[in-house]
Amino acid sequence: MTCREIEQLLKREGGEDRYSTDHGELASHLKSCRRCGEAMRAARLSSVLLGALRNEITPGPHFYPRLHARLADTEIGQMDAILQAWGLAKQLIPALAVGVVLLAVITLSTGGSRPSPPVQAEGETDLHAFSLEEVNLPGAIGRPSRDQMLAFVLAHGTRCDVRGAPCEDESPR
Amino acid sequence: MGGKKDQTPAERWQETAVREGVLIRQAQEGDQQAFETLLRIHDRHVFTVIGSFVRRKQDVEDLAQDVFLKAYLALRQFRPGAPFAPWLRRITVNTCYDYLRKIRRHAEVTFTDLGESERDVMRSLAEHGYPAIDNQHGDRVAARDLAERILAGLTPKDRLVITLREVHGLEIAEIADALGCTRAAAKVRLWRARRAMQAGLRRLIRQEEETAQREGRNR
Repeated sequence: MTCREIEQLLKREGGEDRYSTDHGELASHLKSCRRCGEAMRAARLSSVLLGALRNEITPGPHFYPRLHARLADTEIGQMDAILQAWGLAKQLIPALAVGVVLLAVITLSTGGSRPSPPVQAEGETDLHAFSLEEVNLPGAIGRPSRDQMLAFVLAHGTRCDVRGAPCEDESPR
Repeated sequence: MGGKKDQTPAERWQETAVREGVLIRQAQEGDQQAFETLLRIHDRHVFTVIGSFVRRKQDVEDLAQDVFLKAYLALRQFRPGAPFAPWLRRITVNTCYDYLRKIRRHAEVTFTDLGESERDVMRSLAEHGYPAIDNQHGDRVAARDLAERILAGLTPKDRLVITLREVHGLEIAEIADALGCTRAAAKVRLWRARRAMQAGLRRLIRQEEETAQREGRNR
Protein backbone atom coordinates (compact mmCIF):
# COMPACT_ATOMS: atom_id res chain seq x y z
CA MET A 1 0.00 0.00 0.00
CA THR A 2 1.24 3.51 -0.77
CA CYS A 3 0.99 6.74 1.24
CA ARG A 4 -1.43 8.08 -1.38
CA GLU A 5 -3.73 5.09 -1.01
CA ILE A 6 -3.80 5.56 2.75
CA GLU A 7 -4.52 9.25 2.29
CA GLN A 8 -7.43 8.32 0.01
CA LEU A 9 -8.62 5.77 2.53
CA LEU A 10 -8.67 8.35 5.30
CA LYS A 11 -10.48 10.86 3.14
CA ARG A 12 -13.36 8.42 2.77
CA GLU A 13 -15.88 8.66 5.54
CA GLY A 14 -15.18 6.01 8.18
CA GLY A 15 -12.29 4.77 6.06
CA GLU A 16 -10.12 4.40 9.13
CA ASP A 17 -12.58 1.87 10.57
CA ARG A 18 -13.14 -0.01 7.35
CA TYR A 19 -9.65 -1.54 7.35
CA SER A 20 -8.32 -3.33 10.37
CA THR A 21 -4.68 -2.61 11.14
CA ASP A 22 -4.28 -6.39 11.04
CA HIS A 23 -4.82 -6.07 7.28
CA GLY A 24 -1.41 -7.24 6.03
CA GLU A 25 -0.46 -4.53 3.52
CA LEU A 26 -1.85 -1.71 5.61
CA ALA A 27 -0.15 -2.89 8.79
CA SER A 28 3.23 -3.19 7.12
CA HIS A 29 2.93 0.28 5.58
CA LEU A 30 1.86 1.84 8.86
CA LYS A 31 4.85 0.28 10.61
CA SER A 32 7.31 1.59 8.07
CA CYS A 33 5.76 5.06 7.46
CA ARG A 34 5.62 7.28 10.52
CA ARG A 35 3.49 9.96 8.84
CA CYS A 36 0.78 7.54 7.73
CA GLY A 37 0.86 5.77 11.09
CA GLU A 38 0.28 9.07 12.84
CA ALA A 39 -2.54 10.03 10.45
CA MET A 40 -4.27 6.69 10.95
CA ARG A 41 -3.99 6.90 14.73
CA ALA A 42 -5.35 10.47 14.71
CA ALA A 43 -8.31 9.41 12.55
CA ARG A 44 -9.13 6.49 14.83
CA LEU A 45 -8.69 8.57 17.98
CA SER A 46 -10.94 11.26 16.52
CA SER A 47 -13.70 8.77 15.78
CA VAL A 48 -13.48 7.24 19.29
CA LEU A 49 -13.42 10.60 21.08
CA LEU A 50 -16.38 11.95 19.13
CA GLY A 51 -18.28 8.79 20.06
CA ALA A 52 -17.77 9.73 23.71
CA LEU A 53 -19.70 12.95 23.15
CA ARG A 54 -22.96 11.08 22.73
CA ASN A 55 -24.82 11.88 25.87
CA GLU A 56 -28.27 10.46 26.50
CA ILE A 57 -30.09 12.92 28.71
CA THR A 58 -33.77 12.87 29.50
CA PRO A 59 -35.74 15.78 30.93
CA GLY A 60 -35.84 15.92 34.71
CA PRO A 61 -39.15 15.88 36.65
CA HIS A 62 -39.23 19.68 36.94
CA PHE A 63 -38.54 20.36 33.29
CA TYR A 64 -42.11 20.50 31.96
CA PRO A 65 -43.65 22.34 34.94
CA ARG A 66 -40.90 24.97 34.55
CA LEU A 67 -41.58 25.17 30.81
CA HIS A 68 -45.30 25.67 31.45
CA ALA A 69 -44.51 28.50 33.85
CA ARG A 70 -42.26 30.15 31.26
CA LEU A 71 -44.88 29.73 28.53
CA ALA A 72 -47.47 31.32 30.78
CA ASP A 73 -45.05 34.20 31.48
CA THR A 74 -44.49 34.60 27.76
CA GLU A 75 -48.23 34.72 27.08
CA ILE A 76 -48.70 37.26 29.88
CA GLY A 77 -45.77 39.19 28.44
CA GLN A 78 -47.36 39.17 24.98
CA MET A 79 -50.70 40.27 26.41
CA ASP A 80 -48.91 43.00 28.37
CA ALA A 81 -47.25 44.22 25.19
CA ILE A 82 -50.62 44.34 23.40
CA LEU A 83 -52.26 46.14 26.34
CA GLN A 84 -49.35 48.56 26.58
CA ALA A 85 -49.66 49.35 22.88
CA TRP A 86 -53.42 49.81 23.32
CA GLY A 87 -52.83 52.08 26.34
CA LEU A 88 -50.43 54.20 24.31
CA ALA A 89 -52.94 54.36 21.48
CA LYS A 90 -55.67 55.37 23.98
CA GLN A 91 -53.48 58.23 25.18
CA LEU A 92 -52.90 59.36 21.63
CA ILE A 93 -56.56 59.24 20.56
CA PRO A 94 -57.63 62.55 22.28
CA ALA A 95 -54.57 64.34 20.90
CA LEU A 96 -55.33 63.03 17.41
CA ALA A 97 -59.01 64.03 17.74
CA VAL A 98 -58.05 67.57 18.82
CA GLY A 99 -55.70 67.78 15.84
CA VAL A 100 -58.45 66.72 13.42
CA VAL A 101 -60.93 69.22 14.90
CA LEU A 102 -58.36 72.05 14.72
CA LEU A 103 -57.62 71.21 11.11
CA ALA A 104 -61.33 71.24 10.29
CA VAL A 105 -61.82 74.61 12.04
CA ILE A 106 -58.88 76.17 10.20
CA THR A 107 -60.14 74.86 6.86
CA LEU A 108 -63.66 76.18 7.45
CA SER A 109 -62.51 79.55 8.80
CA THR A 110 -60.39 80.22 5.72
CA GLY A 111 -63.42 79.57 3.54
CA GLY A 112 -62.20 76.47 1.79
CA SER A 113 -61.23 76.78 -1.88
CA ARG A 114 -62.55 80.21 -2.90
CA PRO A 115 -61.67 81.66 -6.28
CA SER A 116 -58.45 83.64 -6.08
CA PRO A 117 -58.69 87.48 -6.16
CA PRO A 118 -58.01 89.31 -9.40
CA VAL A 119 -54.47 90.48 -9.99
CA GLN A 120 -53.81 94.00 -11.30
CA ALA A 121 -51.78 93.65 -14.47
CA GLU A 122 -50.16 96.17 -16.76
CA GLY A 123 -52.47 98.01 -19.18
CA GLU A 124 -55.12 98.11 -16.50
CA THR A 125 -56.13 94.61 -17.25
CA ASP A 126 -57.40 92.43 -14.45
CA LEU A 127 -56.10 88.94 -14.84
CA HIS A 128 -57.63 86.22 -12.78
CA ALA A 129 -55.36 83.63 -11.28
CA PHE A 130 -57.64 80.88 -12.46
CA SER A 131 -58.08 77.64 -10.63
CA LEU A 132 -57.73 74.42 -12.62
CA GLU A 133 -61.46 73.78 -12.43
CA GLU A 134 -62.14 77.19 -13.95
CA VAL A 135 -59.73 76.66 -16.82
CA ASN A 136 -61.28 73.31 -17.74
CA LEU A 137 -59.72 73.35 -21.19
CA PRO A 138 -61.65 71.43 -23.80
CA GLY A 139 -59.79 68.31 -24.86
CA ALA A 140 -57.06 68.70 -22.16
CA ILE A 141 -56.56 65.56 -20.10
CA GLY A 142 -55.03 66.03 -16.69
CA ARG A 143 -53.19 69.13 -15.60
CA PRO A 144 -52.93 71.73 -18.45
CA SER A 145 -49.46 72.88 -19.47
CA ARG A 146 -48.13 76.34 -18.63
CA ASP A 147 -48.53 77.46 -22.25
CA GLN A 148 -52.14 76.26 -22.35
CA MET A 149 -52.88 78.15 -19.12
CA LEU A 150 -51.23 81.31 -20.47
CA ALA A 151 -53.14 81.07 -23.72
CA PHE A 152 -56.38 80.65 -21.77
CA VAL A 153 -55.65 83.63 -19.49
CA LEU A 154 -54.69 85.88 -22.38
CA ALA A 155 -57.78 84.87 -24.34
CA HIS A 156 -60.07 85.56 -21.39
CA GLY A 157 -58.24 88.77 -20.48
CA THR A 158 -58.57 90.35 -23.95
CA ARG A 159 -62.15 89.23 -24.33
CA CYS A 160 -63.67 89.93 -20.89
CA ASP A 161 -61.48 91.63 -18.36
CA VAL A 162 -60.20 94.81 -20.03
CA ARG A 163 -61.54 97.58 -17.79
CA GLY A 164 -64.19 99.71 -19.44
CA ALA A 165 -64.48 97.60 -22.54
CA PRO A 166 -67.54 95.42 -22.83
CA CYS A 167 -67.03 91.71 -23.06
CA GLU A 168 -67.38 90.27 -26.54
CA ASP A 169 -70.29 88.15 -25.39
CA GLU A 170 -71.94 91.08 -23.57
CA SER A 171 -71.51 93.67 -26.37
CA PRO A 172 -74.76 94.86 -27.98
CA ARG A 173 -75.29 93.33 -31.31
CA MET B 1 -56.19 -2.57 19.61
CA GLY B 2 -55.61 -5.89 17.89
CA GLY B 3 -55.65 -4.11 14.54
CA LYS B 4 -52.74 -1.86 15.58
CA LYS B 5 -50.46 -4.87 15.98
CA ASP B 6 -51.00 -5.80 12.32
CA GLN B 7 -49.99 -2.33 11.07
CA THR B 8 -47.04 -2.08 8.71
CA PRO B 9 -44.25 0.44 9.57
CA ALA B 10 -45.56 2.72 6.79
CA GLU B 11 -49.06 2.66 8.26
CA ARG B 12 -47.68 3.31 11.73
CA TRP B 13 -45.62 6.22 10.38
CA GLN B 14 -48.67 7.65 8.65
CA GLU B 15 -50.73 7.36 11.81
CA THR B 16 -48.00 9.15 13.79
CA ALA B 17 -47.83 11.91 11.19
CA VAL B 18 -51.61 12.40 11.32
CA ARG B 19 -51.54 12.49 15.13
CA GLU B 20 -48.67 14.94 15.04
CA GLY B 21 -50.57 17.12 12.57
CA VAL B 22 -53.57 17.24 14.91
CA LEU B 23 -51.33 18.13 17.87
CA ILE B 24 -49.62 20.89 15.87
CA ARG B 25 -52.97 22.40 14.89
CA GLN B 26 -54.19 22.29 18.49
CA ALA B 27 -50.91 23.82 19.72
CA GLN B 28 -51.19 26.55 17.09
CA GLU B 29 -54.58 27.40 18.54
CA GLY B 30 -52.92 27.87 21.95
CA ASP B 31 -53.45 24.44 23.52
CA GLN B 32 -50.41 24.08 25.81
CA GLN B 33 -51.21 20.48 26.67
CA ALA B 34 -51.07 19.54 22.98
CA PHE B 35 -47.78 21.42 22.68
CA GLU B 36 -46.31 19.46 25.60
CA THR B 37 -47.44 16.15 24.09
CA LEU B 38 -45.79 17.19 20.84
CA LEU B 39 -42.57 18.06 22.63
CA ARG B 40 -42.54 14.81 24.57
CA ILE B 41 -42.41 12.95 21.25
CA HIS B 42 -39.26 14.85 20.23
CA ASP B 43 -37.57 15.90 23.48
CA ARG B 44 -35.08 13.02 23.57
CA HIS B 45 -33.54 14.08 20.26
CA VAL B 46 -33.36 17.73 21.33
CA PHE B 47 -31.71 16.78 24.62
CA THR B 48 -29.22 14.46 22.92
CA VAL B 49 -28.16 17.13 20.40
CA ILE B 50 -27.73 19.76 23.12
CA GLY B 51 -26.03 17.19 25.37
CA SER B 52 -23.24 16.75 22.84
CA PHE B 53 -22.28 20.42 23.25
CA VAL B 54 -23.09 21.03 26.89
CA ARG B 55 -22.24 18.70 29.73
CA ARG B 56 -24.06 19.85 32.88
CA LYS B 57 -27.61 18.56 32.98
CA GLN B 58 -28.89 21.87 34.30
CA ASP B 59 -27.30 23.72 31.35
CA VAL B 60 -28.77 21.20 28.90
CA GLU B 61 -32.21 21.75 30.42
CA ASP B 62 -31.79 25.54 30.24
CA LEU B 63 -30.93 25.39 26.55
CA ALA B 64 -33.77 22.93 25.90
CA GLN B 65 -36.16 25.37 27.58
CA ASP B 66 -34.95 28.09 25.23
CA VAL B 67 -35.47 25.78 22.25
CA PHE B 68 -39.03 24.90 23.27
CA LEU B 69 -39.89 28.50 24.06
CA LYS B 70 -38.65 29.61 20.63
CA ALA B 71 -40.63 26.75 19.07
CA TYR B 72 -43.77 27.84 20.92
CA LEU B 73 -43.40 31.43 19.77
CA ALA B 74 -42.70 30.42 16.18
CA LEU B 75 -45.33 27.69 16.01
CA ARG B 76 -47.97 30.00 14.51
CA GLN B 77 -45.74 30.39 11.43
CA PHE B 78 -45.26 26.62 11.11
CA ARG B 79 -46.63 25.41 7.77
CA PRO B 80 -49.25 22.69 8.31
CA GLY B 81 -48.26 19.37 6.78
CA ALA B 82 -44.50 20.08 6.98
CA PRO B 83 -42.41 17.63 9.02
CA PHE B 84 -42.02 18.81 12.61
CA ALA B 85 -38.76 17.05 13.58
CA PRO B 86 -36.45 18.88 11.09
CA TRP B 87 -38.08 22.19 12.03
CA LEU B 88 -37.44 21.58 15.72
CA ARG B 89 -33.92 20.37 14.93
CA ARG B 90 -33.22 23.63 13.09
CA ILE B 91 -34.25 25.62 16.15
CA THR B 92 -32.13 23.34 18.36
CA VAL B 93 -29.06 23.70 16.15
CA ASN B 94 -29.46 27.49 15.98
CA THR B 95 -29.74 27.68 19.76
CA CYS B 96 -26.60 25.54 20.14
CA TYR B 97 -24.84 27.74 17.58
CA ASP B 98 -25.70 30.87 19.61
CA TYR B 99 -24.40 29.10 22.73
CA LEU B 100 -21.13 28.06 21.04
CA ARG B 101 -20.62 31.59 19.75
CA LYS B 102 -20.85 32.94 23.28
CA ILE B 103 -18.23 30.62 24.74
CA ARG B 104 -14.63 31.49 24.08
CA ARG B 105 -12.62 29.54 21.51
CA HIS B 106 -9.41 28.04 22.86
CA ALA B 107 -6.00 28.05 21.31
CA GLU B 108 -4.51 24.76 20.16
CA VAL B 109 -4.02 22.15 22.87
CA THR B 110 -0.62 20.71 23.74
CA PHE B 111 0.06 17.42 25.47
CA THR B 112 1.27 19.24 28.60
CA ASP B 113 -2.15 20.97 28.88
CA LEU B 114 -3.88 17.62 29.32
CA GLY B 115 -4.88 16.29 32.69
CA GLU B 116 -3.60 12.93 33.94
CA SER B 117 -6.85 11.14 33.09
CA GLU B 118 -6.84 12.53 29.54
CA ARG B 119 -3.24 11.41 28.99
CA ASP B 120 -4.12 7.99 30.37
CA VAL B 121 -7.09 7.59 28.06
CA MET B 122 -4.95 8.56 25.07
CA ARG B 123 -2.29 6.01 25.98
CA SER B 124 -4.82 3.33 26.80
CA LEU B 125 -6.67 3.80 23.51
CA ALA B 126 -3.40 3.63 21.56
CA GLU B 127 -2.35 0.45 23.36
CA HIS B 128 -5.65 -1.29 22.69
CA GLY B 129 -5.97 -0.22 19.04
CA TYR B 130 -8.62 2.48 19.58
CA PRO B 131 -11.64 0.45 20.66
CA ALA B 132 -14.93 2.29 21.16
CA ILE B 133 -15.16 3.76 24.64
CA ASP B 134 -17.22 1.49 26.84
CA ASN B 135 -19.41 2.84 29.55
CA GLN B 136 -16.73 2.77 32.21
CA HIS B 137 -17.43 6.15 33.71
CA GLY B 138 -13.86 7.37 34.20
CA ASP B 139 -12.74 6.58 30.64
CA ARG B 140 -15.79 8.14 29.10
CA VAL B 141 -15.48 11.37 31.06
CA ALA B 142 -11.78 11.67 30.22
CA ALA B 143 -12.46 10.94 26.55
CA ARG B 144 -15.17 13.55 26.53
CA ASP B 145 -12.86 16.06 28.20
CA LEU B 146 -10.27 15.43 25.53
CA ALA B 147 -12.81 15.65 22.70
CA GLU B 148 -14.15 18.94 24.05
CA ARG B 149 -10.64 20.36 24.36
CA ILE B 150 -9.93 19.61 20.72
CA LEU B 151 -13.33 20.82 19.51
CA ALA B 152 -12.96 24.05 21.48
CA GLY B 153 -10.33 25.08 18.95
CA LEU B 154 -12.78 24.84 16.01
CA THR B 155 -15.16 27.55 14.81
CA PRO B 156 -18.72 27.14 16.13
CA LYS B 157 -20.05 26.11 12.69
CA ASP B 158 -17.27 23.56 12.13
CA ARG B 159 -17.94 22.16 15.57
CA LEU B 160 -21.64 21.90 14.86
CA VAL B 161 -21.12 20.15 11.54
CA ILE B 162 -18.65 17.54 12.80
CA THR B 163 -20.77 16.81 15.86
CA LEU B 164 -24.00 16.46 13.90
CA ARG B 165 -22.32 14.11 11.43
CA GLU B 166 -20.02 12.03 13.62
CA VAL B 167 -21.98 11.95 16.86
CA HIS B 168 -25.58 12.02 15.65
CA GLY B 169 -25.06 10.44 12.23
CA LEU B 170 -27.01 13.09 10.31
CA GLU B 171 -26.85 13.03 6.52
CA ILE B 172 -25.19 15.95 4.70
CA ALA B 173 -28.61 17.10 3.43
CA GLU B 174 -29.98 17.11 6.98
CA ILE B 175 -26.97 19.06 8.25
CA ALA B 176 -27.34 21.58 5.42
CA ASP B 177 -31.03 21.96 6.27
CA ALA B 178 -30.29 22.39 9.98
CA LEU B 179 -27.61 25.01 9.32
CA GLY B 180 -29.47 26.74 6.51
CA CYS B 181 -26.64 26.30 4.01
CA THR B 182 -26.10 24.35 0.79
CA ARG B 183 -25.04 20.71 0.77
CA ALA B 184 -21.73 21.68 -0.81
CA ALA B 185 -21.04 24.20 1.95
CA ALA B 186 -21.89 21.63 4.63
CA LYS B 187 -19.58 19.10 2.97
CA VAL B 188 -16.71 21.58 2.82
CA ARG B 189 -17.22 22.52 6.47
CA LEU B 190 -17.25 18.87 7.49
CA TRP B 191 -14.04 18.19 5.61
CA ARG B 192 -12.38 21.24 7.15
CA ALA B 193 -13.54 20.37 10.66
CA ARG B 194 -12.29 16.79 10.33
CA ARG B 195 -8.95 17.99 9.04
CA ALA B 196 -8.61 20.50 11.90
CA MET B 197 -9.54 17.93 14.51
CA GLN B 198 -7.18 15.32 13.12
CA ALA B 199 -4.36 17.87 12.85
CA GLY B 200 -4.83 18.68 16.55
CA LEU B 201 -4.80 15.00 17.46
CA ARG B 202 -1.73 14.28 15.32
CA ARG B 203 0.09 17.02 17.17
CA LEU B 204 -0.93 15.48 20.50
CA ILE B 205 0.11 12.00 19.39
CA ARG B 206 3.52 13.31 18.31
CA GLN B 207 3.99 15.17 21.58
CA GLU B 208 2.94 12.08 23.53
CA GLU B 209 5.50 9.97 21.68
CA GLU B 210 8.21 12.53 22.32
CA THR B 211 7.31 12.65 26.01
CA ALA B 212 7.36 8.85 26.20
CA GLN B 213 10.76 8.73 24.52
CA ARG B 214 12.14 11.38 26.89
CA GLU B 215 10.80 9.53 29.92
CA GLY B 216 12.28 6.27 28.61
CA ARG B 217 15.68 7.92 28.18
CA ASN B 218 15.59 9.38 31.68
CA ARG B 219 14.86 6.00 33.28
